[in-house]
Amino acid sequence: MSATVFMNGTVVLPIGWIGIALMTFPWPLLAEEAAPLVTVDSDGLHFFETKIRPILAQRCYECHSASAKKSQGGLQVDTKASFLAGGDSGPAIVPGKPQESLLIAAIDYDGDIQMPPDGKLPAAEIALLTTWVQRAALLPDDTATAAVKKKIDYATAGTFWSFQPVRTIEPPTVVAWEWVQRPVDAFVLASLEQQNLKPALPADRRTLLRRVSFDLIGLPPTPEEIEQFEQDSCSDAYPKLVERLLSSPHYGERWGRHWLDLARYSDKPAPWDTTKAQAWLYRDWVVEAFNADMHYDEFVRHQLATDLMPDSTSSNRAALGFIGMSPVYWKELQLDKEVIKATVADEWEERVDAVSRTFLGLSVACARCHDHKFDPISAEDYYAIAGVLANTRLIDLPMIPGPEGTLAMQAVQQAAKLKAEIQAIEELKPPPADRDQKIAEIKKQIATTEQTPHYSSPLAFGVDDAALEVLADGPNRTKLEYTPGKAQDLNVHIRGNPSNVGPVVPRRFLTVLSSGTSVPFQVGSGRLELAESILTAGAPLSARVIVNRVWKQHFGRGLVETASDFGTQGSAPTHPDLLTDLTHRFIQNGWSIKWLHREIMLSATYQQSSESNPSHYAADPDNRFYWRMTRRRLDVEAWRDAMLFVCGLLDPRLGGPPAPLSDAGNNRRTLYGSIDRYEVDDMLRLNDFPDAFTHSPNREPTTTAIQQLVVLNSPFLERLSAALAGRISAPSTAKASPGAASTGSVPEAKACVSDKIRRAYLLLFGREPSEREMQIGETFLSGGQTDQPPLPELWQQYAQALLGSNEFLFID
Amino acid sequence: MRNPIDSESYAAAIASAAMGPGGMSRREMVQRLGGGLGAIGLLPFLNADAAAPASVGAHPVPRAKRVIQLFMNGGPFQADFFDPKPALNRCQGQRPKEVDLRTERATAGLMAVPFSYQQYGESGVPVSELLPKVAGCIDDICVLRSLYTDNPNHGPALYMMNNGTITPKRPSMGAWFLYGLGSENANLPGYVVLCPGRPVRFSELWNSSFLPAEFQGTYINHSNLDPRKMIPFLRNSSLDTLTQRRQLDMLRSLNREHLASRPEDMLLDARIKSLESAFGMQFEASDAFDLNRETKKVREEYGASQFGNGCLLARRLAERGVRFTQVYYGNFQPWDTHSNHDSSVRTLAADIDQPIAALLTDLKRTGMLDDTLVIWGGEFGRTPVSENGNGRDHNHYGFTMFMAGGGVRGGMTYGETDDFGFRAAVNKVHIHDLHATILHLLGIDHEKLTYRYAGRDFRLTDVHGRVIKEIVSGYKSV
Repeated sequence: MSATVFMNGTVVLPIGWIGIALMTFPWPLLAEEAAPLVTVDSDGLHFFETKIRPILAQRCYECHSASAKKSQGGLQVDTKASFLAGGDSGPAIVPGKPQESLLIAAIDYDGDIQMPPDGKLPAAEIALLTTWVQRAALLPDDTATAAVKKKIDYATAGTFWSFQPVRTIEPPTVVAWEWVQRPVDAFVLASLEQQNLKPALPADRRTLLRRVSFDLIGLPPTPEEIEQFEQDSCSDAYPKLVERLLSSPHYGERWGRHWLDLARYSDKPAPWDTTKAQAWLYRDWVVEAFNADMHYDEFVRHQLATDLMPDSTSSNRAALGFIGMSPVYWKELQLDKEVIKATVADEWEERVDAVSRTFLGLSVACARCHDHKFDPISAEDYYAIAGVLANTRLIDLPMIPGPEGTLAMQAVQQAAKLKAEIQAIEELKPPPADRDQKIAEIKKQIATTEQTPHYSSPLAFGVDDAALEVLADGPNRTKLEYTPGKAQDLNVHIRGNPSNVGPVVPRRFLTVLSSGTSVPFQVGSGRLELAESILTAGAPLSARVIVNRVWKQHFGRGLVETASDFGTQGSAPTHPDLLTDLTHRFIQNGWSIKWLHREIMLSATYQQSSESNPSHYAADPDNRFYWRMTRRRLDVEAWRDAMLFVCGLLDPRLGGPPAPLSDAGNNRRTLYGSIDRYEVDDMLRLNDFPDAFTHSPNREPTTTAIQQLVVLNSPFLERLSAALAGRISAPSTAKASPGAASTGSVPEAKACVSDKIRRAYLLLFGREPSEREMQIGETFLSGGQTDQPPLPELWQQYAQALLGSNEFLFID
Repeated sequence: MRNPIDSESYAAAIASAAMGPGGMSRREMVQRLGGGLGAIGLLPFLNADAAAPASVGAHPVPRAKRVIQLFMNGGPFQADFFDPKPALNRCQGQRPKEVDLRTERATAGLMAVPFSYQQYGESGVPVSELLPKVAGCIDDICVLRSLYTDNPNHGPALYMMNNGTITPKRPSMGAWFLYGLGSENANLPGYVVLCPGRPVRFSELWNSSFLPAEFQGTYINHSNLDPRKMIPFLRNSSLDTLTQRRQLDMLRSLNREHLASRPEDMLLDARIKSLESAFGMQFEASDAFDLNRETKKVREEYGASQFGNGCLLARRLAERGVRFTQVYYGNFQPWDTHSNHDSSVRTLAADIDQPIAALLTDLKRTGMLDDTLVIWGGEFGRTPVSENGNGRDHNHYGFTMFMAGGGVRGGMTYGETDDFGFRAAVNKVHIHDLHATILHLLGIDHEKLTYRYAGRDFRLTDVHGRVIKEIVSGYKSV
């Protein structure tokens, strides 16, 4: 851009430049150049039509015209009105002044904007355009002088399916009505019948139990539980089972982890972050919220604004971790404030993205630089929401309420500062004479500080309300200044550039969800009002989105496949009425997630077998119509936990600080393994654990060779297969309950080979081995010698293969 | 959230496509992916197999099949190596207004470059005395003198160089390469990052972000040259090969029993195959990462330094079809010479000269340089003005990189910096342009390699990028 040129004063004005360019011209052009500059309009227009429009048409229209798929940079150069109005960066031309015209700077490749992007124009064309601007840039009048900027038509956009209020929908009539067990079944069956498809038979009890168990608690059933369930002939055996698992404390561990994917959970902050906060307090809060069936609206409200809720208790403080542990980016304060502003704006964008996609299933962050290309979200809407997060400061939050907590937090920060002082002194070269004395003195201060009451009470990742300003701090520094108690609206950043600001936008909710007018938020940052808006005006979306997420976990595919995009670019719902009706009843039932589980799991749809059917498979290979249950692969957490469980090693303790999964004897659930978004554990990384820098709506299942090295060679599998080999050698009456020791009370002297194989199959797969499977096992274990008992190492190899088998990894 | 194709069938297709003889060919895979192709730019896949590659789609002709990037992390100074600036010595100590640019730290006047230049090769491209051996390869090298980037800070500049954005949340270019081209060898990771330590920002520089996790780089610390230390879980600590083969045969029988009653499930089948691939990887990777299999003569050519080992490993991986190998010079950021610049650079240059020359010579000898693109450079350059008296600060306004092989014209320079080597001035090349050009050489139109995520089509080059056609071999100026 010419601005940078002038700032440094290194380039002469383009007048001289034109002279240079002219020297390369073919003669006829020079002749034209020599003609009088100002002639009658018709000559000027003729010049435009014959010389200029062809260049624009050939070089520019593809991206900058009404017919372009999207007009890049907001600029169109095919009508007079749009040309003069310019684009997002301002007017493209200043008639008579090529040196002040962005267009000329751009085609000269003389600044940030270089056009056309695929290579500089020939010098002759640059000279022609320059001449044309110099000659007052005459343009023919347009017949159409419509407004250049397309305005979002909220009335039309508001009719999009996901924005519609939820309501009761009468279940459709179906032929095979006897199949229907819950309202959702009628919707599913109606669409199956429409497609001439039939639901599969119900799954057998063993399969169903295994499915329900992994779905709700992320662990397999024990052989004893299987036996009991198979023999329970009561009509309410299945509902009772669902109820038992829903009230297990392991339920929250399973479903809490699904939530943590959305919340980009990480135990470790950025390496340079000096926070003393501990993320596991948030993780445990989420687990407990699921276990207590905290209603989803409460769950959302606490995470966004528990500190602003009048009736909130201190037990919910850790909920603020959702925003509190947002990724922070490095801000080099020696850089110019404009650079730091850009980094800060990037952080806001990530938070807007996480909040809007998690709670609303809308990608509001797309509107940071311009109105959303597809959804009815304007740049103003983006800055209205970003303003809320811009007035929200990430802080270390004491778990002890009141002044005592604040004192304890200050003590922790003080101690950290003092420790840094010691380090600074130790690094001094040469060491000061009174080095040891100074250090001893500081150590004494640290000891005193550590005596502060509640000093060791952990700090959570939290937030409070404070306005942030990025200010110059002397000639070569920038500072971030927070003002608690103050809240300020953001200006629109034109094209996302914080140094180029447009009008101020009050903090408020999204226009399209506010039926015309959205009222500016009044209280502090506006987080609580944002939460309330999400749950009231935004309820059609926020409730549908969570219902769909739960559905997706149960079936392996969502009614809306794009779980965090319910906008026009997301996939359309396969069963819109089902989703609307189920969501309506979900709200009527107090936003209870456990109610939702029951409603889904007690359905005939959920209880189908996963067995395939060639004609149905040909018609609907992706099972979009639910003509069977979809076979699913366990995620890495359930896979690792299940291995520990069947080997009798799982440590079932709940909650608390994390520990690395790679620790030799770590037998706790995978949920409690430390997550470092900067360096993910090998086993997790290789098995599709999501990137914890951003909101992650689904796990992308991959099947790679390097992943299977975990099965073949990892010390974890080696250790577990040894434990499993030991366990099946001593079957007896050992209960395979979580945390039980690996041996039974009365070890049998010598269980025969087939008994042990049978025991292994019961523990791992909950069934008897087939004849063929028995034979494969016996042949392997004989090691080629039929008359000898198998060597212990063969049992271990066998155990490892069973743990690594497809049957253990996939759920029918 | 992958729009064009169902994610499960995609994963299965990828897994089985990588199978080699027993699995699908690339062509089959492309057919299976069907309608998804238009949107995801797997076309070069076809190009690789097709008889008449130029006729396929709108993607460019692939010139390079694989890329090796030699990453001078910390940022080398352009005028030390390939961009002579005599004005620095003439105006030493002065601070003309052209160099009064804001960088990260406070800087003073111009600092002279004590290294002399000579012209080399038939092309006569000048190279400084610091790289005499690399200078011998200059006719294969295209020096890009006019790079610039957006931020003078290591983290953001590293993100920009690797991920095409200054914030840490986009897929790395290597992940994009694999997404676009797939892997050539199922028994090795397709994207390998070698560093004898940890570069700043670490795994974010090779992450796959929203692309499928299989496309992320495999980080390998090669300061210990035992292959078992380099790849997690590469070899079994107690079972010998025959025993493990017998175990895997038994597992395969069980898995087939399981599959027999569950036909039409590609994921089950894909996993059976991937277990076999993993078995193969144990040996292939043990071989690929074992420098002891090279002759003494070759080891001597590359030298005994960690960077030399990295270059040799990169060559071994390239031979085996690894799509992208990055060799970071060293732990943290060794090229970050805020003080004692000249003496540090002498040591650093001495350390890279022989290995780079050996790599280029080696690739050329075997003909691999024709379709292997080698890239050299840092995340940014350094200032012509001094910092701390004898150091140089970060410089994002202008810096040098070079490319060799892979369809790039050798023995040329492209672009210019100003008289003091501070700012890119002529034919400026942004990192987006660099990425667009690398993709072009790989046979991918950077505007067509897109991935639908969060409601929008993402590209490595965002909405930017200009292919520098002038440096592609066969280029004719108009």
